Amino acid sequence: MVEVSRHDIIIVGGGGAGLRAAIAAATADPSASIALVSKVYPMRSHTVSAEGGAAGVAREDDSLEMHGQDTVKGSDFLGDQDVIEYFVEQAPKELALLENWGCPWSRNEDGTVATRAFGGMTVKRTWYATDKVGFHMLHSLFQHSMRFDNIVRYDEYYVSKLLVDDGACRGVSALNIRTGETHAILGRSVILATGGAGKVFPFTTNGMIKTGDGMALAYRAGVPLKDMEFIQYHPTGLPGTGILITEATRGEGGYLRNKDGDRFLVEYDYGVGQKAELGPRDMISRAIILEVEAGRALEGPYGAYVHLDLTHLGEEAIDAKLPFVRELGRIYQGIDPVYEPIAIRPVAHYMMGGVDTDIDAATELPGLYAAGEMACVSLNGANRLGSNSLTECLVFGAVAGEKALAHAQATNEGSEDRLRQQAEEEGARIDALRGSTNGSEKISAIRREMNTAMETGCGVFRDQESMAATIAALAPLKPRAQQLALSDSSKVFNTEIIAALELTNMLDVAEAIAVSAHSRKESRGAHTCRDFTTRDDQQYLYHTLCYHEPSAPRLSKKDVRLDHWEPVERKY
Amino acid sequence: MSETKKKFVITRFDPEKDESPRTQEYEIPVQGDWKVLDAINYIKDEVDPSVCHRWSCRMAVCGSCGMMVDGEPKLTCKTSLAEYGDTVVVEPLANFPIVRDLVVELEGFMEKFKRVKPWVVRAKEQAAEKSGGGTYAQSPEELAEFKKFSMCINCMLCYAACPVVANEGEFLGPAAIALGHRYNLDSRDEGESERNEIFRGEGTIYSCSFAHECSEVCPKNVDPAAAINQAKFSALIDWAQNLVLPKGRAGGA
Amino acid sequence: MAGPSHPDAMAPSRPGPTRTAPPQMPASWWSAPRIRTYLLFDATGLVYLLLGFVALEVVWALGAGPEAWDAMLASLRNPLVVAFHALGLASVIFVGVRFFSFFPKAQPPRIGPMKPPPAPVILGGLYVAWIGLTVLFAAILAGGIF
Repeated sequence: MVEVSRHDIIIVGGGGAGLRAAIAAATADPSASIALVSKVYPMRSHTVSAEGGAAGVAREDDSLEMHGQDTVKGSDFLGDQDVIEYFVEQAPKELALLENWGCPWSRNEDGTVATRAFGGMTVKRTWYATDKVGFHMLHSLFQHSMRFDNIVRYDEYYVSKLLVDDGACRGVSALNIRTGETHAILGRSVILATGGAGKVFPFTTNGMIKTGDGMALAYRAGVPLKDMEFIQYHPTGLPGTGILITEATRGEGGYLRNKDGDRFLVEYDYGVGQKAELGPRDMISRAIILEVEAGRALEGPYGAYVHLDLTHLGEEAIDAKLPFVRELGRIYQGIDPVYEPIAIRPVAHYMMGGVDTDIDAATELPGLYAAGEMACVSLNGANRLGSNSLTECLVFGAVAGEKALAHAQATNEGSEDRLRQQAEEEGARIDALRGSTNGSEKISAIRREMNTAMETGCGVFRDQESMAATIAALAPLKPRAQQLALSDSSKVFNTEIIAALELTNMLDVAEAIAVSAHSRKESRGAHTCRDFTTRDDQQYLYHTLCYHEPSAPRLSKKDVRLDHWEPVERKY
Repeated sequence: MSETKKKFVITRFDPEKDESPRTQEYEIPVQGDWKVLDAINYIKDEVDPSVCHRWSCRMAVCGSCGMMVDGEPKLTCKTSLAEYGDTVVVEPLANFPIVRDLVVELEGFMEKFKRVKPWVVRAKEQAAEKSGGGTYAQSPEELAEFKKFSMCINCMLCYAACPVVANEGEFLGPAAIALGHRYNLDSRDEGESERNEIFRGEGTIYSCSFAHECSEVCPKNVDPAAAINQAKFSALIDWAQNLVLPKGRAGGA
Repeated sequence: MAGPSHPDAMAPSRPGPTRTAPPQMPASWWSAPRIRTYLLFDATGLVYLLLGFVALEVVWALGAGPEAWDAMLASLRNPLVVAFHALGLASVIFVGVRFFSFFPKAQPPRIGPMKPPPAPVILGGLYVAWIGLTVLFAAILAGGIF
């Protein structure tokens, strides 16, 4: 028998968006019961690793119009403009709220919040807390959320299935990682905020937990994934580990140099113009790969790389504004950025795509909402500007919390028997899988093959042939993942079964990415296809929708909202 | 990339099968630039998938991967394997009940954490107090007063190192006290009296005998020993002030 | 691991849903060089306890007449007793130096509007006071003053 708990709304994922949603709902209705279900303790959520900053208009010489325009242009005109207009308006309010809740934003001498320059932003509007913004945001949100007795946390519970009854999502089936028991957590609306899926790639800034669980859950429940082909490669990651070196290094004046010591973004024409190192991430990642292809990059044990040079900034500036970067350089690369350049290369970082939602964070499935990196609202279109994502978590986390609560208050509970039955079946499925030695496949082997396939076809530069090869390479992996040889039959804190479930989710997400990428025969934003090198607004100005079907994904199109800004050529 | 072999002695404990924790040895090829975590992940991925541990960010910021390596509390994602000899002993964090293998019970910490009221307590939200844009004014100097103590990643190495934590159950412990002190020092917060009452009461901070082990092992230079001992002094002054001039509480949840 | 920590160490208020093994202390809890310094620091308490008993005996001898006093002074000149008092002096210096080295960081950044003086000033003040008071009391006890 599975244990059943009942709440008003259920939030899956305890990162920036999930916590903000919980706080929004708890504040809006102190009598509502809000479940916050996370497979890790919330302070471990990957929001914690974000470094650079969160954008919101703060200065006198800035305007909502300009922030909106920068975001639309950064998105290569694929961002929905009603979403963008709402976002830029809410951004400063959300960041100020976070400050009231204790976030230690860095300050100007006069006591106001300081801002720094960031890629693609025409005016300084990125709020920062030295270079550990995600850490401070997450901890401030988590600590503030502890004030609310009506937020009930389920820490280290892995949601393996959405429970749908009578046409709406009314709960989740969650595996209690500690006990191995399946738990039916029922509510009248569900918010997914589980983040992206960087772990489908071999080199990524993302941590172990970014396995696209929420995306796969919604996908398999019939909700389409939108714009999955757009993967942001962060230009400056450490080779080998993939650890993130923040864009703020460039915001504070760092240079990118090739093996000849030249600032190649200035020397050669890579489309970033005067902005040079402060150009948008997709263009800089492409520039680095092209430098590699031109033979002007350096070679190392983990492949080709270029240099991020901070040596001209001085020790004092680096210790004041980029202390974490200095620490990372020393610990993970054995160099001191004050005196030596850092070796970097583009690594998979963020997914612009995700679960299709409207401006109210609602998906096609009534009762199911999504926010944060895993959702595609779409704020970021084909390419995200740095420092928009942390603010996105706050703005749309709050939206999701409020709208999901309103939906819960207006809907009924569905049939507890039917919902419990679904959870029982899910629990039985997991119990059968745990420690099963029926198959012969190894989790790590399938994971590696998936990583290799994704690196080949869905890297910074793509072409039709390699994308087709990726789709072909991924195809046999899903059935093979059903034939795993698992050796841990214990129920208590079994992390092997979690890895097996995550693998299935990653394979679904990887397939959606590859199929969507193959279908977009143009180059736009982060999706660069060598066979179709220009942007084609005539045929491809739409969002790609990818629906889950048993045999192969079914693709469809969704219009882009172009209310305000006309698409023009994207030049900097 | 240089490659050698090292032996790992890992604590195993499955409450369904084991009466008490035991050890298991694994000999694996290791790379020259590996951290201890890379070795544990290799063992789990390639040799024995039933070894259970927590990890996530692998860049020393999420705080998941704290373990005892050769008897010292370490963040395994930050600790180079090159520092160790041919045999490395990996155990779960000291002073915590053991759930499974290298995984420890964290609920005790979460309770202590919440008890210090780690949020901004304000008597009244005054719109007029806020400077332009809805934020409170805070100078860089005011920020610097508490900034160091806000860097805690909740990795709990300090609890594994503290002799007082090892010897009693009530002590709030380094990270919780440092976090409470961080909010006491924050110029936007008005809850100092409430927290000082908690500091002086059950879970007393005066159990701390300044062993300084917490600050020695902290991977983020939070210096909890400084926080605890500053808090001892502040809580004492607060108590003396209350004797002379009893004051009302700052409100807030 | 060496052995168990206190059974309630880091225990939650209610037992968890699965059986846990008791908290352990690492094998090196007493042997690592750093912790040995701290253990020595705490162990000097025994020395002070014994010195306290000696002081009580001296005070009793003071009130028990001139013969008892002379006998006490004679016993205090015993080389073993002198060595014990030297140990006491070394303990006090060791503890004092260790404590003083930590003292600056134990000052809160501000009490109300007052900021503490910088660390070198604090340290200087502490040592001046300590040495000054020691010299003063030595002079009094040696009969140089009063």
